[in-house]
Amino acid sequence: MSGRSLHTSLARSWHRLAFRWRRAQFYRELAEELEFHSQLKAAENRRAGMSPESALALSRKQMGNITIAKEECRDMWSFMRLERLWQDLHHAARMFARTPVFTAVAILSLALGIGGNAAMFSLVNTLLIRPLPYSRPESLYRITGTYPRAAIPFLQQRSRSLDIAAVSTASEMNLTRNGLAIRIVGSRISPNFLSVLGASVAKGRSLKPGEDLPGRDGLAIISHSLWKERLGSDPAILDRVIALDGVNREIVGIMPAGFSYPSAKVQIWIPMRLDPSNLLEYWAGGFVPVIGRLRPGATVNKAREEIRNSVAQFRKTFPYPMARDWNANVTAISLQQDIVGDLRSKLIILLSSVGMVLLIACANVAGLLLSRAAARRKEIALRGALGAGRLRILRQLLTESVALALVGAGIGIILGMSALSIFKSVLPPFTPGLAEASIDWHVAAAVTVIAVLAGLAFGLAPALSAQQTDLTETIKAGSPRSVGSAWTQFRSLLITGEIALTLVLVVSAGLLLRSLYRLSEANPGFNPAGILTVEISPDQFSCTQRAACVALYDRLLARVRNISGVADAAIVNSVPLDGQLPTIPLDIEGHPKSADYPSPMLWFGAVTPDYLRIMHIPLLAGREFTSADGPNSAGVVLISASTAKHFWPGENPIGKHLKLAGAKLWRTVIGVVGDVDHNSLTNPLPSWIQGAVYMPYGQSACEDGQIPAAMTLLVRPNLDNAWLRTEIRQIAEDQAPNVPVGRVRPLQDIVSASIADFRSTMRVFITFAGAALLLAAIGIYGLLSYWVTQRTYEIGLRIAIGATRRQIVALILHQGMRITMYGVGIGLFGALILTRFLRSLLYGVGATDVNTYAEVAALILGVALAAAAVPAWRAARIDPAKSLRVE
Amino acid sequence: MGALPKTSELLPGTLDLLILRALLPGPMHGYGIASRLKQVSDDVLQVGESSLYPALQRLLLNGWVKAEWGTSENNRRARYYKLTASGRKQLATERENFSRMIGAIQKVLDMA
Repeated sequence: MSGRSLHTSLARSWHRLAFRWRRAQFYRELAEELEFHSQLKAAENRRAGMSPESALALSRKQMGNITIAKEECRDMWSFMRLERLWQDLHHAARMFARTPVFTAVAILSLALGIGGNAAMFSLVNTLLIRPLPYSRPESLYRITGTYPRAAIPFLQQRSRSLDIAAVSTASEMNLTRNGLAIRIVGSRISPNFLSVLGASVAKGRSLKPGEDLPGRDGLAIISHSLWKERLGSDPAILDRVIALDGVNREIVGIMPAGFSYPSAKVQIWIPMRLDPSNLLEYWAGGFVPVIGRLRPGATVNKAREEIRNSVAQFRKTFPYPMARDWNANVTAISLQQDIVGDLRSKLIILLSSVGMVLLIACANVAGLLLSRAAARRKEIALRGALGAGRLRILRQLLTESVALALVGAGIGIILGMSALSIFKSVLPPFTPGLAEASIDWHVAAAVTVIAVLAGLAFGLAPALSAQQTDLTETIKAGSPRSVGSAWTQFRSLLITGEIALTLVLVVSAGLLLRSLYRLSEANPGFNPAGILTVEISPDQFSCTQRAACVALYDRLLARVRNISGVADAAIVNSVPLDGQLPTIPLDIEGHPKSADYPSPMLWFGAVTPDYLRIMHIPLLAGREFTSADGPNSAGVVLISASTAKHFWPGENPIGKHLKLAGAKLWRTVIGVVGDVDHNSLTNPLPSWIQGAVYMPYGQSACEDGQIPAAMTLLVRPNLDNAWLRTEIRQIAEDQAPNVPVGRVRPLQDIVSASIADFRSTMRVFITFAGAALLLAAIGIYGLLSYWVTQRTYEIGLRIAIGATRRQIVALILHQGMRITMYGVGIGLFGALILTRFLRSLLYGVGATDVNTYAEVAALILGVALAAAAVPAWRAARIDPAKSLRVE
Repeated sequence: MGALPKTSELLPGTLDLLILRALLPGPMHGYGIASRLKQVSDDVLQVGESSLYPALQRLLLNGWVKAEWGTSENNRRARYYKLTASGRKQLATERENFSRMIGAIQKVLDMA
């Protein structure tokens, strides 16, 4: 058949389609036509002188095998492959409908496994695989370390290989405009930041070179969300002026929706002013991260060498002594690596865990299918006898398992959509790109491929086992006893593996659960119970007059204390665990600065005298602040116990002196207080912060010598209620008009939020472990039920010859527990090897914690015992008379 | 698609060509086609019905012929096959291909 034009192909498809509605007519007509033919043929033979009967017989003979011809015709008119697939699917659906429990269990286990994978894939795809959403992201680099503003022009001028821009980490700012006063998050950038990143504004313009110089830097670029949510999507907002921390800035551009750098919470980007005459800001205030884009033709190795040399030269230009090893091993790492950072290991741990759940689900379904295959032996043997080829049967069985997997995948994708939000909560919420992670067609395609592979994988063994039969024997006996023991053994192996994987997951969940318990038991150094907080953030410049701010907060405290039901109130610049770490460089008495020993950075708290009492932070030595420690009295500080130990080991720190780096006024240590977890419950202070120091609010000073303006009000009410919260907020707004006032939040919430991602991680693992445990239980139950059914005859016989029910139960339980023990043994070994990767997620518990391992092993043995008990009980109730007669 | 007629010793695809050619003068029923081929070829081409009818179905499927029920010479209902426009075109192409093939075979047989 040559020359099949497009026209012909279309005609064929159309005719085939039309055929589907006229099938009966087709057969009738074909039969009539053939009959007509055979009669004419018979007439011809009669003319040749044959008897009518033999003429007809001969004509039929001459016509050849008409049945085959008819079949050939019919096949020609059908979409053969599709038709067969449809038949197989139809059959599969019928088979599955006949065993609803089996089907539901199989589909749900697969959906669980596949859903988790779908959600994890979309995270891994977004964060690890998909290139960053900036132009030519492969040439984007992050220069390690942070640098003062002075370094920016220095590095920009010297680098041949990289276009360099600085972008400060997100910090809070006040935005005021026409009575609107809100606290937003902003970042300071070099004017070339957007061109280096390869992003552009959606509306308006980007910053121009030189727009970071004093007097020209009164500009801002806003995020799409800020424009939409807080500025009413006003298209005329461009060129309008807003006040940011009291400084007027003109909005020149709006970023497109979805753009996020350096963090998804940044809502505004403003020029990072370069003013060499402002020594403090230019050389010390807030070191910033630096990114770079590799220029065309440059190599990253060259760039790294260049940057190392430039930084070494720059180190010598500091106007104050700088540590000799400051950023000595600076290098350039890919921006993606910088953004993902230590998320990578967490993602990989989660991905392996969902992978394990899927493996368990597959093993389980394979086990279930194996016993079904055994039950369907007779049907399959019959199909074989009726002429179905081996391949045809194999295809039928594999179609069934793949269909099962695909239905599982469908439900799994829906499950995955909800799982995704849970998985996302495991990661830091403002990771750029995290919000965009979704189950898109990439993920759906990957999941479908996995489902098909899984379907083939768990379907192959059962399909092969189903065919391994002697046709006549099976049909004759129809007995479920005639089953290859090799396949039963294979199934036991699957269950053993399943139990081992389950144990690994449950141990992981157990370790995390124990860590969370330790964390909740951990003493953060203060008592958050019953404390309400509210942030009040006046513009920094409104505190240029120190007295103004002191008076503001004095008034506020006086008014709040007047509310009936308020026992105590205080203010502090930052409450522990709120994600902020105010620090200042200090000069410490007896610790002269040198190139090897620059000013240490300390966490610093500006507090009113009642703060320590409200927070239940213990005074260990010396005295507390009093209201007499005001702006005009002698400078005093409190230090934490570990700070005392760090700087004055074995000495009495009281009476020692310290001062702000570069300042004149020495302050006296008047007391030592307990250590507090400022940074996180697992890591009280990052390693670059060498201690904690408290100052009375009136005397306090940030790096630039100014008194902190944005403060948090702490209130300890006798009774917390909505009215009280509204009242507190109202007073704050009254006392500080046109100043952003935050929500009233219990301090307890802030503490919980600080371990939210830890808690989600644990919840995810508990879910995995629970799913795995359930699947394993189903696996053991299924295997033993099958085993019992298979051995009904044998068990009946045993009972008949005198075995007690107890012995029968013991027999079945023994069978189940043996497999479980193997699984637990292998699993313990596996867990010992694998849980070390969890170490970074654990707190207060070792990766090989004996108690956890023992408890989990006991738990799994218990679950296995319960799962085995049902079939054992059923076996014990076998009526020997019946079972022996049946066979 | 369309297994080779086992009894005939025709070249692949030739049967389709022959049927199309037989239908060129006008519509014919299956038996008529078979007898016509047999008669014209001096009993050399005996087309078995088990290959004739699948071939006709194939031509129908491809839209090269149309089938209509009519009355036969002995006043019985019979299915008549008729060339369609695309069938004519197909015949022309097939014919050309066939001649080329025959010519090529001839050349090979005639080689020195």
